[in-house]
Amino acid sequence: MNVGVAHSEVNPNTRVMNSRGMWLTYALGVGMLHIVLLSIPFFSVPVAWTLTNVIHNLGMYVFLHAVKGTPFETPDQGKARLLTHWEQLDYGVQFTSSRKFFTISPIILYFLTSFYTKYDSTHFILNTTSLLTVLIPKLPQLHGVRIFGINKY
Amino acid sequence: INHIVHNGGLYKRPFNEAFEETPMLVAVLTYVGYGVLTLFGYLRDFMRQWKIEKCQNATEREEQKDFVPLYQDFENFYNRNLYMRIRDSWNRPICSVPGAKVDMMERVSHDYNWTFTYTGRVVKDIINMGSYNYLGFAQKAGTCQEAAAKVLSHYGAGVCSTRQEMGNLDKHEELEKLVARFLGVESAMAYGMGFATNSMNIPALVGKGCLILSDELNHASLVLGARLSGATIRIFKHNNMQSLEKLLKDAIVHGQPRTRRPWKKILILVEGIYSMEGSIVRLPEVIALKKKYKSYLYLDEAHSIGALGPSGRGVVEYFGLSPEDVDVMMGTFTKSFGAAGGYIGGKKELIDYLRTYSHSAVYATSLSPPVVEQIITSMKCIMGEDGTTVGKARVQQLAENTRYFRRRLKEMGFIIYGNEDSPVVPLMLYMPAKIGAFGREMLKRNIGVVVVGFPATPIIESRARFCLSAAHTKEMLDTALKEINEVGDLLQLKYSRHRLVPLLDRPFDETTYEETED
Repeated sequence: MNVGVAHSEVNPNTRVMNSRGMWLTYALGVGMLHIVLLSIPFFSVPVAWTLTNVIHNLGMYVFLHAVKGTPFETPDQGKARLLTHWEQLDYGVQFTSSRKFFTISPIILYFLTSFYTKYDSTHFILNTTSLLTVLIPKLPQLHGVRIFGINKY
Repeated sequence: INHIVHNGGLYKRPFNEAFEETPMLVAVLTYVGYGVLTLFGYLRDFMRQWKIEKCQNATEREEQKDFVPLYQDFENFYNRNLYMRIRDSWNRPICSVPGAKVDMMERVSHDYNWTFTYTGRVVKDIINMGSYNYLGFAQKAGTCQEAAAKVLSHYGAGVCSTRQEMGNLDKHEELEKLVARFLGVESAMAYGMGFATNSMNIPALVGKGCLILSDELNHASLVLGARLSGATIRIFKHNNMQSLEKLLKDAIVHGQPRTRRPWKKILILVEGIYSMEGSIVRLPEVIALKKKYKSYLYLDEAHSIGALGPSGRGVVEYFGLSPEDVDVMMGTFTKSFGAAGGYIGGKKELIDYLRTYSHSAVYATSLSPPVVEQIITSMKCIMGEDGTTVGKARVQQLAENTRYFRRRLKEMGFIIYGNEDSPVVPLMLYMPAKIGAFGREMLKRNIGVVVVGFPATPIIESRARFCLSAAHTKEMLDTALKEINEVGDLLQLKYSRHRLVPLLDRPFDETTYEETED
């Protein structure tokens, strides 16, 4: 089973986020994470929300902006080997619906978290920094940019 | 309820094609499955890297650890963490002719599919639902085999030369005249390998400055031939005539990308039956579009020649159209004729041009004589020229088998893709674990099937593909259906919600983006 056996899509990674049910699965996943954190008795509600936000942003950063390339060999001689999954989405076309959805969802989570932590200062600083780590790499100006050469190869 | 497409009366018979939409719960569970497998894959990779678990993949030598790595090991992630777990459903060694029943060597694995050992036992009489044996000509006894054996003793097995040098036998000329008569075209040319026919001849037909409009789900040989030619490639949605028309209009209005010059040629690449979907091309509409916008049509009938049409002449006869409308008719002898190789048929000027300029003709060895004789005998049998009605009976048996099998599977409640008349039947499995489970359970019950998953198909659409044959008797099909029913209940594969109005188009999103060439 290799890429390109049954279709002419060169890099299936570009279309994974558009597939049927992916957004719903993502939302359910975040919801499940939050419920699990809420059920641990040591965490108060603000701590649980901040933890949800931070873990979600950490996971999103790792899978969308840190891991490069494709987990399978593509027939295009590795054009996407140095690109993160976010940069591969829709072959680099900006402002598609998947990109908008994944930009808006951490912002919504941030709003909810700020509300439930009652705008406390420590929580605010933590949540804002983690939101920035996940929003800044999504800017179109940072497409393909590697600051200080981190994660270049 | 039949969906009869009234398109100005282009279709003379009902065109029933349906791709039922994935149930949302199944899609979510499929993603959860792939997510769990990914997380476990990362865990196992971590354990392998820190030597907690033995790494059974190939690794670099110790002395070369500081060099620039030769491969990116992330590209092997899917292979070692997902494919290896279910690898025993593919590459199964068979040891008899792949007819309606086949013998397989039994193999076991003691280290979770990293290595296989043969027990030495041969599992006999497995019902073969995976071979492209549409008319049942894959047999080891019969007129075809006797004729091929005689030619083998006369001509030998090898040709040892290319067509243009010393490899042009009188058998090849006879074959080409027969193929031209079979298809109803002026002239034809035969090549040694079906894949090479596509990939070596499309570059001879189009070049830089031409436009190729190719279907989304075209086979790798067509994609490779299109890329090798150097023409601009634009992809239209699968079997979607509005998408094709839009691309044609845009191409003719805007011309070539920067210079705005008119295109030298526009070639539409379609297949007769798409083997992974089981869908049939909407040929009447494609021909109408081709005539309206004055472009050329290349029809790849690899799976449909011999399998469709009242006398087995392919998708052109199935729709009742004239073969003169299709500019290049390509096909293979591997599927319905039980041989090897491919052909291209068309006008005499075109074939004469290809005889000189095709890469296969100049550089590739020509067809082997016993194979040619097998093709000649089986084609004469299908046409009825050998004096019996065996050919016609086979074509009718295939059509009956197709209708019966598809109807029974739909009644059982499975989701089946594709057209009602196509002998390729994809049964949707969706979840990654079910791919492996289905293959193994069917083998336990003595039925051999082909299963396909991601990344060869879109991520949620893994499937099992059945290829029906005229050699399957009704008893074999009933046995197979009974077993499929049992496995379907065991694995809970009966997803169909028996919608009265099935979806006509493939369940994809509206906009797709394509790779832009530099």
